[in-house]
Amino acid sequence: MSELFVVGLSWRTAKVDVREKLAFREDELADVLRALTSSLPVAEALLISTCNRVEVYGVGKPGEDPTTVVRAFLCEQKKVKPRDVAEALYDRRGPAAIRHVFSVASSLDSLVVGEAQILGQLKAAYSVAGTAGTNGPVLSRALERAFGVAKRVRTETPIARGSANVSSVAVELAARVFGNLDGKNVLVIGAGKMSTLAARHLYSEGAHKIVVTNRSPEKAAALAAEIEGVAKPFDDLEALLTEADVVISSTGAREPILTRPLFKKVTKARRWKPMIVIDIAVPRDADPAINDLEGVYLYDIDALDKVVQANLAERAKAAEQAGKIVEHEAVQFEQWLRTQGVVPTIRALREHFAHVADAEVGKALDQLGKKDLTRDQQRELLQRTVQLVVNKLLHAPTTALRGAQPDEATVRAAIVCELFGLEPSEETTDPVAEPAGSEQAAERKAQA
Amino acid sequence: MTEPVRVLSVAPSPAFWVATVAYAAASVLLFIVLAGHKKLRPAALVLVGIACAAHATDIGWRGVEHVHPAESVREALGFLSFILTGGYLVATTRYRLTLGGVVVMPVALVLLLLARLTPAGAEPESLSSLGRIHIVLATIGVGIFALASALSAIYLAEDRALKNKKFDGAVFKDGGAPIEALDRISHRLIWVGFPIFTVALVLGAIWVSRLGQSIGRIEYALAAVTWVAFATLLVARQIYGWRGRRAARLTLSGFTGALVVLVIYLIRRIAGG
Repeated sequence: MSELFVVGLSWRTAKVDVREKLAFREDELADVLRALTSSLPVAEALLISTCNRVEVYGVGKPGEDPTTVVRAFLCEQKKVKPRDVAEALYDRRGPAAIRHVFSVASSLDSLVVGEAQILGQLKAAYSVAGTAGTNGPVLSRALERAFGVAKRVRTETPIARGSANVSSVAVELAARVFGNLDGKNVLVIGAGKMSTLAARHLYSEGAHKIVVTNRSPEKAAALAAEIEGVAKPFDDLEALLTEADVVISSTGAREPILTRPLFKKVTKARRWKPMIVIDIAVPRDADPAINDLEGVYLYDIDALDKVVQANLAERAKAAEQAGKIVEHEAVQFEQWLRTQGVVPTIRALREHFAHVADAEVGKALDQLGKKDLTRDQQRELLQRTVQLVVNKLLHAPTTALRGAQPDEATVRAAIVCELFGLEPSEETTDPVAEPAGSEQAAERKAQA
Repeated sequence: MTEPVRVLSVAPSPAFWVATVAYAAASVLLFIVLAGHKKLRPAALVLVGIACAAHATDIGWRGVEHVHPAESVREALGFLSFILTGGYLVATTRYRLTLGGVVVMPVALVLLLLARLTPAGAEPESLSSLGRIHIVLATIGVGIFALASALSAIYLAEDRALKNKKFDGAVFKDGGAPIEALDRISHRLIWVGFPIFTVALVLGAIWVSRLGQSIGRIEYALAAVTWVAFATLLVARQIYGWRGRRAARLTLSGFTGALVVLVIYLIRRIAGG
């Protein structure tokens, strides 16, 4: 039975300038997979190419180890010198490959542990392999199981809890203060990229209205149009702050524009309703002293990073728990995979037994139809038929046992005993008394 | 001449012991949950439920024995403890209030133990219907204030964690109710509890005057201070929009006053005063 293998590189082994050399476009994937399975000893294959990893998951043809040729294939496809990526490329086989696939799907191997994107990317890659016709029973089963493991990890561990980037932290903080963002007003001061991202995130989470203000009205209008917000004059800052529940500030001002005197007036006008101020600007837009005011929760870039780091630390703890789930599932998958190796033998054995039995039963039925047999004759015919089936089935193994060399014969005898649950006695004479050619003799007797 | 007295006590019921054990176990388990073992939370809430049910059974059992929650301050304390637990249990259906449980459960346990295991003392025969109504209303009012205070305490802890960015602290990790909701619900509870407490206070004053006692006792003065604290809170919120930390601190101050009044009453009863 061929085993699963993984060949590729990821953020762990390669910097972005190396990763991008081997990255594949989405529209290339199907053709690459077809080329992989048609020209190499690869029976099944899947290719995942994201900003953080390029990996081939596959199953080699029986008796082949395709990892070396797959490495060469990847380099050849992207016209990269093998020595340039030799250190970055890794390969895994068998149990290690299974664990790797499960870990990737569960986001344990991601740059940001617990991020949800990788699962979607893996599902997309699986779908492409399906379209290209390079999926097979082992790979399909491995991927389906990997998706199941990922689901288990996300539901049974806190690996995906807590925000892992600044814009998500704004949403998380809003949840701490307001519960949800339904009907809340967001004020974006300045037109920085991060504030835009954070504002978009808040909007997608249900923020009612986003107002953008900037010293340059044109920039404010452009950003407002981009995030479906409303542009308002910077001169109305105090009034805008009074209306806002979440403030995101990222201007290029050299001095704080969100001062304590201003916020004293604002908080009083708001009747001390809570508000979150997220200051992403460097130098900072908000005077740190406004955090002391009733109802104001100020988070500057360092504080936001502290939230991210705290969440990542929590995720790292959860990753240990998730690792145990992956290990458990990988062991179960290996067991399943092992059973797949004997399935053809089991199938052939059953077919052989059924064939012998069917042939002899058919002959017996023919005789019953032709002759008017007494009850005793019928019983004798039945006994002979069963004996014939048994003899035919035992003929080959018995011959193999008798014909084996002494050492080999002992091993074979032990296997037979184990398979049939036998406890042979110590008799030295042959208790079976099956003469050579007994199968034929029994057949002749039956025909007579 | 000695006034005729009757001793208002029956032996604690088996349900009381079940409630005591469940309260203690729930307190410990909730603390463990707050420390990070979140998987134990359902088990902790089941224990709170058992404590609440056993407590209700105990109150019912005492009722059958003719010892009602309005019989004395001692019984009222037990009832107050029950209101706290019941209120907490209801709140947990909507919010994850592990921190609240860590505060409420031990308080409920202490109140229950005070109510059942302190000497019963003697109660004057003259406990009239007016007195009983006063005790019932005061207990319900203080019970509601207690719930508001628990929410205020959680508010202050969460506010502190958010302001100081204590992200690795138990309060932040607990992920309890949003602070805006804590402030709002606490305020609503005070709106409900205040009229009840006011009526209880007026009836208490009438009752005391009918008994011919002096109204100059410390507990009466403290009860009046409690009333003023909550009245100030409601007026300040309505007119000036007071909320947040100021409101939470005032709520806690008012409730502390009410609690001290109850304790003084209890001590007086134990002492037979």
